[in-house]
Amino acid sequence: MSRPIKVVMAKLGLDIHWRGAVAVSRMLRDEGMEVVYLGNQFPEQIVNAAVQEGADVVGLSTLGGNHNSLGPKVVELLRKKGLEDILVLMGGVIPPEDIPALKEKGIAAVFGPESKIVDIASFIRGKVS
Amino acid sequence: MTKEKQKLFDQKVVEQLGTKKERWHEETLKGKVGDKKYYTESGIPIDILYSPSDIKDLDFQKDIGFPGEAPYTRGVYPNMYRGRLFTVRQLAGFGAPEDCNQRIKYLLDNGATGVNIVFDLPTVRGYNSDDPEAEGNVGACGVAIDSLEDMETLFNSIPIDEISSSVVTHMPSTTVVLLAMYMVMAGKRGIALEKLSGTNQNDFLMETVVGSAPEILPPKASFRLQCDAIEYASKHLPRWNAVSYNGYNLREAGTSAVQEVAVGIANAIATAEELISRGNSVDDFAKRMSFFWDLCNDFFEEIAKCRASRIVFQEVMRDRFQAKNPKSQMMRFHVQTSGITLTAVEPLNNIARSSIQGLAAILGGAQSLHIDSYDEAYSAPTEEAALVSLRTQQILQAETNVVNTVDPLAGSYYVENLTREMAQRIRDYIEEIERKGGLVAVTESGWLHREISDFAYKQQKAIENGEQKIVGVNHFPAEKKKAAEIEVFRYPETAVRQTEKLARLRKKRDQAKLDKALGNLREKCLSDENIMPYVKEAVLALATLGEIEEIFREEFGLWQFPLA
Repeated sequence: MSRPIKVVMAKLGLDIHWRGAVAVSRMLRDEGMEVVYLGNQFPEQIVNAAVQEGADVVGLSTLGGNHNSLGPKVVELLRKKGLEDILVLMGGVIPPEDIPALKEKGIAAVFGPESKIVDIASFIRGKVS
Repeated sequence: MTKEKQKLFDQKVVEQLGTKKERWHEETLKGKVGDKKYYTESGIPIDILYSPSDIKDLDFQKDIGFPGEAPYTRGVYPNMYRGRLFTVRQLAGFGAPEDCNQRIKYLLDNGATGVNIVFDLPTVRGYNSDDPEAEGNVGACGVAIDSLEDMETLFNSIPIDEISSSVVTHMPSTTVVLLAMYMVMAGKRGIALEKLSGTNQNDFLMETVVGSAPEILPPKASFRLQCDAIEYASKHLPRWNAVSYNGYNLREAGTSAVQEVAVGIANAIATAEELISRGNSVDDFAKRMSFFWDLCNDFFEEIAKCRASRIVFQEVMRDRFQAKNPKSQMMRFHVQTSGITLTAVEPLNNIARSSIQGLAAILGGAQSLHIDSYDEAYSAPTEEAALVSLRTQQILQAETNVVNTVDPLAGSYYVENLTREMAQRIRDYIEEIERKGGLVAVTESGWLHREISDFAYKQQKAIENGEQKIVGVNHFPAEKKKAAEIEVFRYPETAVRQTEKLARLRKKRDQAKLDKALGNLREKCLSDENIMPYVKEAVLALATLGEIEEIFREEFGLWQFPLA
C-alpha cells in the first residue's frame, strides 16, 4: 500500500472518557498510520468525517454504556453510503457478552482494557490492504 | 505557634548517624543494592533506606505537629477516626430515579453511612432523557434526572436531614441545576436549607478538560457558574460543600499524584481570587471547599500525597489569602480508589488492589471513602460487587485497628521525607500553572489537556513495554483468554419511562410561569448577578434540566475542545 492507513477515531456520543481514545490515536500514529481524532461525535458526524477523510478504519471508543445502540448505527450508516469496506473497530468498557452481537452487526473487532497496540495495529494491517 | 525551632533529632546525633549509614552502606549492604533505580509513580527517586538524616531539617511543630492544628499534616480533626469514622460513601447511580432510590436504601440498610449519587451522561452533560443526544446513555453509568420530580423520587424517604449526601454533579452547569433541584426538593419536604449536609462536585475542569463532549461551555463561563454555586452556598447552605475539586477524574484521565493535587489547589486559588474580587471574604467560603483524591497503587506516595495536600492548602489559605478561621485552612477530602488500576482479566484481583488503596486513604486521613468494585472494567457494579466494596470498608474500620490511632505513619523517615518532597513538587507545579496565567488560562490554551495526554501516552507505553507491571496483564499474565466469569450489571430500561414522565410533566406545567422563569434566567446569563436564584425559580416552575442547559448553551456559546 502506497499511502499510510487512515484511521478516523471518535468518542461515541456523550461518553466523556477520552484517555484511551487519545492514547490509542497517538500510538497508531507511532505505528505509521494517519489518525484523525474527532473528539466526541454522534454516528452521523462520524460517518461524514470518515467519508471526507477517506478513512480505511473507523475507531469508536466508549466507556459509557452506549456501545450497543450507537456502535452498530455507525456500521449501518456506512453501509447505506455503500462504504461497507471501511473497517469499524470499538474499544473501551464493553461487557464480553455483548461482543458477539456487536460483531454480528458488523463491528470488526472490540479491543477492551488490556489490549496491546501491536495487536490492534496488526489486526488493522491484516484487514486493510 | 511557637517560633522556636524544634528539630526532631539532636543535630549532632544525626550527623553521627549519617556517618553510620555510610558505614552500613559499605560494610553491611556492600554491593547488594544493584544498579536499578527506583522511582515513585510520580517520578521521585526511592532510596533503599531512610534514616533520621533524611528528615533532619524537620521542625516538629511547624512541619508535623498535632492533628486538628496547623499545619494539619496529621489530619484536620484532633481525634480523627475516634471522633467519627470516615463516611462509608459508596457510589450509587443507574436507571430511573425509582431504581436508584432502591439501591441507595440497600446500601444504607447494609451500613453505608452516607449517600453518593452518580448521574447518567445525559444528565451530567445537560440533556433530557428524550433528547436525541441521549440515545443509548439514559440510565447507564448513573441515574437519569430530568426534573424536580425526579429529584423528589430519587431521595424519597431518604433522611436527608440526618445523613449527608454527595451528588456527583461533575460540571458547574449541571451543578447549579441539580443543587437547585435538591434545595427545592428539601424545601417541599419542610427541611430547612441550614440542615442540608453534603457535597456536590462542581468543577469546571470536568467540563473543559477531564471529560470531552460534543457541546462544551467555554472555560470562563463554566468557571463563573462554579463560583456562583460556591458563593450562593456560602450564604445559604452552611453545612454544604458546594465544591469538590476533582483531582480524581483528572488523575484517571492521566496525571501524576503531584499534578492531581496541584491542579485541585490551583482551582481553589482561582476560586478564592474570583470570589474575593466579588466582595466576599475568604473566611466566608474557604471553610466549605472540599477535595476529591484518587488513590492508586503506589502505597506510600499516596499517603504522602494526602498529608502533603493538607500542608500546601494550609499555606495557601494562611499566607496568600490571610484566612483567619482555622476551618478555612483545613483541607477535607473524599477518596475514591482508582478505577484505572483495575483490570478486566481476573477481576477478583481487583478486590486486593482496592483494599490496599482504601487502607492508604485511611492512613492519609480521608474524610470519606468509596471503594471501587471489582467489576469496574465490565460495567457499573452489580449488587454483589457493591456489597463486597462496602464490606471491605467495614473490615478496614472494624477488624484492622488502623483507625484507632491518628496518623500512625508520622515520624516514619520515609513517609515524612516523601511528604516533604511531594509538598515541594505540588508547590512547584502550582507555580508553573500561575506562570502560564492561571488555571482558566491553561485550560483555554489547551496546555493542561496536553499535559494529560502526554502522561497517558507515556504511561500506556510503559505498560506495553512492561516497565509498569500489572499482574495478570503483563506480569504473570492470566492464562490465555479464559473469559472471566462475571455477571454484568444490566441497566433497567429507563429511556421509555423517563420519556413518558417528561411528556406528562410538559402537559401539567403552568406554561406562563415557566416561560417567565426561563426568560429571567436567560436574561441573567450574561449579567454579573449570581445565577442560582434564577435557576431555582426555573426548577420550581418545573423546567427540565435540558431546557435550562439549552439556555446556557445558547447564551454562553460553545467551545472547541483543544485536542486533536
